[in-house]
Amino acid sequence: MAFNRREFVKLTGATAGLATLGLPLVSRAKGSVSIVVIGGGYGGATAAKYCRAYMPDAKVTLIEKNKYYYSCPFSNEVLGGESKIEDVRFGYDGIASHGIDVVIDEVTGVDPAAKSVATKGGKNVSYDYLVVSPGVSFKNNIEGYDEAAMEKMPHAWKAGPQTTLLRKQLEEMEDGGVVMLVAPPNPFRCPPGPYERASQIAHYLKHHKPKSKLIIMDSKDKFSKQGLFMEGWKANYDGIIEWRKAADDGKVVGVDANEGILRTEFEEHKPAVANVIPAQTAGALASAIGLTNESGWCPVDQRTFESSIIKDVYVIGDSCIAGKMPKSGYAANSQGKVAAAAIAAKVGGYDMPDPSYVNTCYSLITPDWGISVAAVYQYTPEGIVGVKGAGGLSPMGAPESTRKAEAMYARSWFRNITTDLFG
Amino acid sequence: MHHKLSRILAASVLGSALLSGATTASADATGAMVSNPCAGCHGIEGASQGQAPVIAGLSQMYLASTMKAYRDGQRYATIMDRIAKGYTDAQIDAMSGHFANIGWPTNNQTVDADQAAKGQKLHTSSGCAGCHGATGVSMMPNAPRLAGQYAGFLEQQMHDYKDAAKAIPPGAMVMRSMLAAMSDEDIAALAAFYASQK
Repeated sequence: MAFNRREFVKLTGATAGLATLGLPLVSRAKGSVSIVVIGGGYGGATAAKYCRAYMPDAKVTLIEKNKYYYSCPFSNEVLGGESKIEDVRFGYDGIASHGIDVVIDEVTGVDPAAKSVATKGGKNVSYDYLVVSPGVSFKNNIEGYDEAAMEKMPHAWKAGPQTTLLRKQLEEMEDGGVVMLVAPPNPFRCPPGPYERASQIAHYLKHHKPKSKLIIMDSKDKFSKQGLFMEGWKANYDGIIEWRKAADDGKVVGVDANEGILRTEFEEHKPAVANVIPAQTAGALASAIGLTNESGWCPVDQRTFESSIIKDVYVIGDSCIAGKMPKSGYAANSQGKVAAAAIAAKVGGYDMPDPSYVNTCYSLITPDWGISVAAVYQYTPEGIVGVKGAGGLSPMGAPESTRKAEAMYARSWFRNITTDLFG
Repeated sequence: MHHKLSRILAASVLGSALLSGATTASADATGAMVSNPCAGCHGIEGASQGQAPVIAGLSQMYLASTMKAYRDGQRYATIMDRIAKGYTDAQIDAMSGHFANIGWPTNNQTVDADQAAKGQKLHTSSGCAGCHGATGVSMMPNAPRLAGQYAGFLEQQMHDYKDAAKAIPPGAMVMRSMLAAMSDEDIAALAAFYASQK
């Protein structure tokens, strides 16, 4: 190797600023507008930054509960040992440096009539437009899997301490121990995520616990990028990963966390480490505000992401119903930009240009084996749909050089998108 | 010269669009809107900070013809073939104009100095400079800038261009014949040279 690809110095002149993003900037006369964004993840961080970029004189406030954001994308690589938890941790100084008021506080209520957000710390922040990006919350689809159980059988589906806990359990496990990964039913955050995680944990087992294996206990009979994952597992983790689908009694219906037991319809299992990912619904805040419908998710005008239920409130990211777009970080990032453009158009009194949305999900099967699924989306009166003929999966049977290039571009994606969010 | 002028013209059209109110501005904004999602992989305003290529500051002609080649199966890609199929000619022209109007970002990559020196010799002796300029800054709108581009991307692209099984645009066939004589080490050295340039 001629040089270390990972050792490039941080760009100096490329902090492209935010003033040149190209949309018509909303004039100073409209400067009194106030935009509040709740949630500082992939959706919310994007929305705050792009609102500020499109409306340089607007007052933009980002309210986020935690001082640091831990990215779910690439947290599986922390479990596999290729990354450290610090590599997926981001603070909000970058966002604040753009003139956005960052408030680290918990939202306790939203009054849509008074257009005001209340926080635990006693603040009342008024808004003209509110963007809500609360991610997901967990459903009680597995009997006995409560908050106490999560500390023994981590979900690690919201990155941070849960990731660190699961990693610690894997490290402390004896060689020969069985890891069980309980995969959730649809729809859930990051459809390929559980299977990338299985790959990453298997990578760790292969190199550090060669007598161990991992069993995916699935609530489903098929999954995202299935053919590509299966091909990658056969090549890299033959005999290490086993996938047990719902039809083969893979569906976990209950746990006894104190005894370390997972229960399916017909059997009980006692793995050395259990990673339990429950079913999901819109972030708790979304339902508390009244933004969800009977599906548990938030209906929106898919051209603007304005809530179909509450005026001047925009819902983006995992919580919203975004047509054919998956619940992914890239999708939330795309949606944050569209919502910001929609608000800017409303404030500026012009027609919003046609929105454009992209999603690309990379998964790393090994550090040198990347696969992807991509799509370009457009708005139609029926909602957001994929552009016909575009997108799709990495090819099956591709040479190792292609897998390696995709792994390189996966890491590049993480660097670029997190700069878009937090830089 | 013509190219330079057209960029200045484009810039002034952009400027007046911003001042002239809703209709023109919205029409112009299509380029920005359609380009917005590119940032996830190619960086804010095309200024990538990873190994995905910088796309800011390349000529509109090169950007548009590359996207169309990806879309139409004329250039091998890991992922851009799938993504490019999502865009019409008009959208591709708009996004290419958008990125062509942004300056090339300054970046610093750590490369091995010996490798870069070897690459510089190859660059000169193999005739790469003819199209891509003495330091990898091309004056021709159909030959991309290589100076300051990411080494990982360049190396991967050169391997793809060399591989007869992979599609490349007709205009790049000369690259295939030039790369045929190069070893993996030569290609790595060339990539290091371009990456070392500002």
